[in-house]
Amino acid sequence: MRSIRGWRTGLGAAALAAALLLGVGLVWAQTLKVSQSNQQFYPEPNFASNPVGPAPVGAHVKVLETKGDWYRVEYQGKKAWLHRQAVPESPVFVPGQVGGGPVKQVKSDEVALAGKGFTAEVESGYRQKNPGLNYAQVDQIEAFRVDPGRLQSFIKEGGLNP
Amino acid sequence: MRRIQGATIAALAGLILAWGCAGPEGSGPSLSGLTGLVPLPGAAQPAAAIVTKAGAKAVDASRPITPSEEYYIGRAVCARILAKYPLSQDQALTLYVNEVGRTVARKSNRPDPYRGYHFGVLETSEPNAFACPGGIILVTKGLVRKCADEDELAAVLAHEVAHIVNQDGINSISRARWSEVLTTAGAEAARQYGGVAGNLVTLFESSIDDVFKTIVVNGYSRGAEEAADREAISILTRAGYNPAALASLLGRMGSGGGGIMRTHPPTADRLAKVKSQSAAAQPGKMEEVRTKRFKEQKI
Ligand SMILES: [Zn+2]
Repeated sequence: MRSIRGWRTGLGAAALAAALLLGVGLVWAQTLKVSQSNQQFYPEPNFASNPVGPAPVGAHVKVLETKGDWYRVEYQGKKAWLHRQAVPESPVFVPGQVGGGPVKQVKSDEVALAGKGFTAEVESGYRQKNPGLNYAQVDQIEAFRVDPGRLQSFIKEGGLNP
Repeated sequence: MRRIQGATIAALAGLILAWGCAGPEGSGPSLSGLTGLVPLPGAAQPAAAIVTKAGAKAVDASRPITPSEEYYIGRAVCARILAKYPLSQDQALTLYVNEVGRTVARKSNRPDPYRGYHFGVLETSEPNAFACPGGIILVTKGLVRKCADEDELAAVLAHEVAHIVNQDGINSISRARWSEVLTTAGAEAARQYGGVAGNLVTLFESSIDDVFKTIVVNGYSRGAEEAADREAISILTRAGYNPAALASLLGRMGSGGGGIMRTHPPTADRLAKVKSQSAAAQPGKMEEVRTKRFKEQKI
C-alpha cells in the first residue's frame, strides 16, 4: 500500500479520487516549488538571521531536512533554510524521515485531497450556513492596497527604517 | 511555537485578542502538535489508512495547520467580528493605519504570511484590537483615540502582529479537534471529492464558535501576552519606532477605560516587564514628524 504507483501528472480529479479509494499511498515529496513571492533563503532556521538570497517564485528546491516550520533545502548547489510560508501548499514532513530513505515526488493536489482540512470549499459551506457573517467586509479589508512607493515614502518621512 | 512553545496558551483559538487583556493562564490545551514540532505521521499517511481509521479512535494530530488553513480560520474569525462591529469606511484613516501596520509587520519575524497583513479600523469607541490568524488585524477607533501618537499606535499594531507571528490564536485550537479535522478531511476527500465536505464545515464552525466563547470570557495567557510584548518591543526597535511607546500606552490604559479593558486591564506586572525591556528613548525630531501626522488624522 505504500507508494504503489507513481503519481502521473495528467491524472484527472475523478481518477485521483478513485485512486485514493483503491489505496494509492502517499509518499514524501523530495522537491518543492516556491509559490509565494518575496521569499528568502536563510542561513539559520529563523527569521532573525540575515537572508542569504531570494527564493524566486517557481524555484524548485530539494528538501534535505526539516525543523519546525523550516525546510533545509538545496537550490542551485547551495544549501540554506526556507520557511514553509514559501511553499504553503506543500506537505509537512516528519522530521528525520526526509533526508534518509528514498522518497518520491508527490503532487501537492494529492496531498491536498488526502489531508486538506479547512479550505475555500469549507469556507463556502460555512458561509452558506451562516449568512449573517460579514465576509463582504473581510474581502474589503483584504482588497485594500497600499502602494509600495507610498509606503516607502511614509517610512522615510517618518525617519523610520526602510 | 518558537518562543511560545512552552507557554500554556489560553484556549483562544483563532482570535486573538483583546488588546491589553491578560487572561487567565493555562485555561486551555496547549497545542504544540500544531506547530510541526511534534513528529507525527501525517500528510504522508496513505489516504486509505486515514479512511480506515475514520470513525475509530482519532488519529494523532498528524500535521500542523497550514498557512492557508490558518488564513481561512482568520477570515471566519474576522467575519464574525465584523458582524458585531462595523468596519470604518474612512479611507484616509484606514490608509494611515495600514501604513503604520505594514511598517511594523515587515520588521516582524513573519513578514510575509500567506496572503499578507491587512489592517482594518472598527467603528466603535470600545478600545480593543484583534489579531485574526493569518494576518488580518482589526483595531477599534476607541483604541486609536487612546494612542497619544503614531509610535503608540505602532506599538498596538506591533503587539497584534506578534500574536500572529507567535500563532497564539492557532496554537490554542485543541489537539483533539484538529485530529478530528484531519480524520474527517481524509475520509471525505476519498469519499466525495469535489463535494462540499459537510462534516468539515461543522468542525470549522465549531472551531470558530469555540474561539468566540473563549475570547469573550478569557484572553491570551499571561505568557502569550508577555511574549507578544517582547516581540512588539523588538519589532518597534527594528522599525525605528520608539520602543518605549508600548509602556507609555499600557501605563495610560491601566487607568481606566471600558469594554474589555475593564474586565482585563493590563496588569502592573506586565507593565513593569515592558518598562524594563524598553529603555526610555529621547523623542527625536522625526518622532515629532510622526506625531504631527498622527494628529492630522480625524479619528
Ligand atoms: Zn495581546
